[in-house]
Amino acid sequence: MEEILKLKDVNVTYSNKKKQVYAVRNATFSIYKGDSVGIVGESGSGKSTLAMALLRLHNEKSVRIEGTAEFEGKNLLALTQEEMNAIRWSGISVVFQKAMNALSPVHRISTQVEDIYHVHEPKAGKEEIEKRMVNLLKLVNLPERVYHLYPHEMSGGMLQRVAIAISLLHNPKLVIFDEATTALDVVTQGQILEEVVQMEKEMDMTRIMITHDMSVVAASCNKVAVMYAGEFMEIGYVKDIFKNPMHPYTQGLLASFPSLKGENAKLSAIPGFLPDLSKECDGCIFAPRCPKATKECRQRKPKQTETKDGRMVKCILYEGGMSNE
Amino acid sequence: MSEKAYISVEDVAMWYPYHGSDSSSHKKKGEKGKDWIKAVDGVSLSIEEGEILGVIGESGCGKSTLGKILTRLEKPTRGDCLIGGVSTKEMLKKNPKEFRSTVQIVFQNPFDTFTPRDTIEKILLRPLKNYKIGNNDDERRNMCMEALEAGGLRPAEDIMSRYPHELSGGQLQRISIIRSMFLKPKFIIADEPVSMLDVSVRADIINMLLDLSRNENTSVMFISHDIALTRYISDNIAVMYLGRIVEYGKADDVIKNPRHPYTQALISNCASIDPDEKVESIAIEGEPPTPLNPGPGCYFAPRCQYACEECKKKYPEKVTDENGHWFTCIRKEQ
Repeated sequence: MEEILKLKDVNVTYSNKKKQVYAVRNATFSIYKGDSVGIVGESGSGKSTLAMALLRLHNEKSVRIEGTAEFEGKNLLALTQEEMNAIRWSGISVVFQKAMNALSPVHRISTQVEDIYHVHEPKAGKEEIEKRMVNLLKLVNLPERVYHLYPHEMSGGMLQRVAIAISLLHNPKLVIFDEATTALDVVTQGQILEEVVQMEKEMDMTRIMITHDMSVVAASCNKVAVMYAGEFMEIGYVKDIFKNPMHPYTQGLLASFPSLKGENAKLSAIPGFLPDLSKECDGCIFAPRCPKATKECRQRKPKQTETKDGRMVKCILYEGGMSNE
Repeated sequence: MSEKAYISVEDVAMWYPYHGSDSSSHKKKGEKGKDWIKAVDGVSLSIEEGEILGVIGESGCGKSTLGKILTRLEKPTRGDCLIGGVSTKEMLKKNPKEFRSTVQIVFQNPFDTFTPRDTIEKILLRPLKNYKIGNNDDERRNMCMEALEAGGLRPAEDIMSRYPHELSGGQLQRISIIRSMFLKPKFIIADEPVSMLDVSVRADIINMLLDLSRNENTSVMFISHDIALTRYISDNIAVMYLGRIVEYGKADDVIKNPRHPYTQALISNCASIDPDEKVESIAIEGEPPTPLNPGPGCYFAPRCQYACEECKKKYPEKVTDENGHWFTCIRKEQ
């Protein structure tokens, strides 16, 4: 399989004169062509920060980004903003949570689409753009007339679909959905997820899905990456991890979701709170809340361990090839 | 529905007058009378003592408005709610204080629930003082401490001296529930109490609500759009669509064997955390319509895949099966 995005030791630190906040630490993993990876975690775990860092959307005066993120042979984290502009939309595009705010309220969808299209195809004519966009609108089950509407004339679900269609305008190789369906109703969310999965099959795209809802990942991704306090705890196939979570944090996270139709097991919460991200931590970052933590966990950082079924888990329990009990 | 229900909601409706542009009005030119947005349109329910009733539906279906009516934050256009045979309308007129101690509400956003300028101690003491519970401040303070500790907020002393902004959302929501339970209400309305919280603390709040309801035998109306969670906490579930209840029954019954086409679509679109639990999702055509002059006929008919001519003529009758599971659809058998 071909690697499309390869992260190595990516660190993102927000800093000012007084303090530093380590939002993403030591992110090392690869995304392969055709994958759909769900990044899950609680709020404040650094999911969105990572996406913003990959697209270089931060104000770079207040943020320190280290490590490498290789995309098509280029290190995204070392490019200039001009070089980055060449990759945005056509290489990587992003759909944000609030599509209502992503579109300008004073311009028709058509004007905004033309603007975006001209970024990479400055000579394209109006008809060509309309034809392309109408095709994309069909993919997300919207009628043609949407192209000439203003954002306020549409509902939240329609706008989110428009935002998804726009993100596909330049045939990006990688699309990042940053909580793109969170603000929607269950019915609309279910339908959009289904459309996205369908689209993916037709268009050969790779997707990163950032969400806090495990069920969204179960419904629409083939891989899942669990993030906690800026670190990746466990990465692997959805079917493996949801059935047999190895990392204690993943286990806790899954136990706090009720099943829709299965047995009504008692919900349990993870005790404690997210750690203070402005402090360096010697041991495992999850140790203070972990039910299985030992003395060793508090003293040294766990290493990333590969297991037999091809997943990565960052926990001392599994170092040295110990199996899941 | 049994006749001796502890809490009985009787034909409650909330119509808001509509002042919109003429183009979106459904009336013909020259026709008189106002347009109404029927946010809640004739809801009847019964809740037993200690029962937890879940109310689910899409946004805009009127579930929060229903909660507001039952706490009388909104005055309903018609209908009433009886608690233990006493009309809350009368109770509110005669003795508003008694009403407020009978019905309590827990809101969605714990950050907006508390006065930002008061400490938790002041916030918690106020209802006790107002209702003259406890003889003096020391006694009341002890009661607060006990309640906080019982709710897992330790050390209580430290929490009492803090301001709301110094606490996390999960802690605040717990305090919100503790405060609502102080007056030993008979009926609590929890309006999306966990949707603003992180998943890892959600379970705590839900279990706390369950325990309190069990220990004090309090009835709870749990309003949520999270179907899996509602099924977990509720004894019975009511499904709302455009201001009306379209299906009601035992929680497991409704989720596993939905009868109304809307409930079927809603549940089929709800993602489960079990990747093996794949269901063919039923698409609903179009967006949820506004509750501006819906009908005649079944409100769901324009989006329903089974809709026929008859559906568009008359709002369907209630069909009840032997377990008290009822739904409003003319298609009795699939």
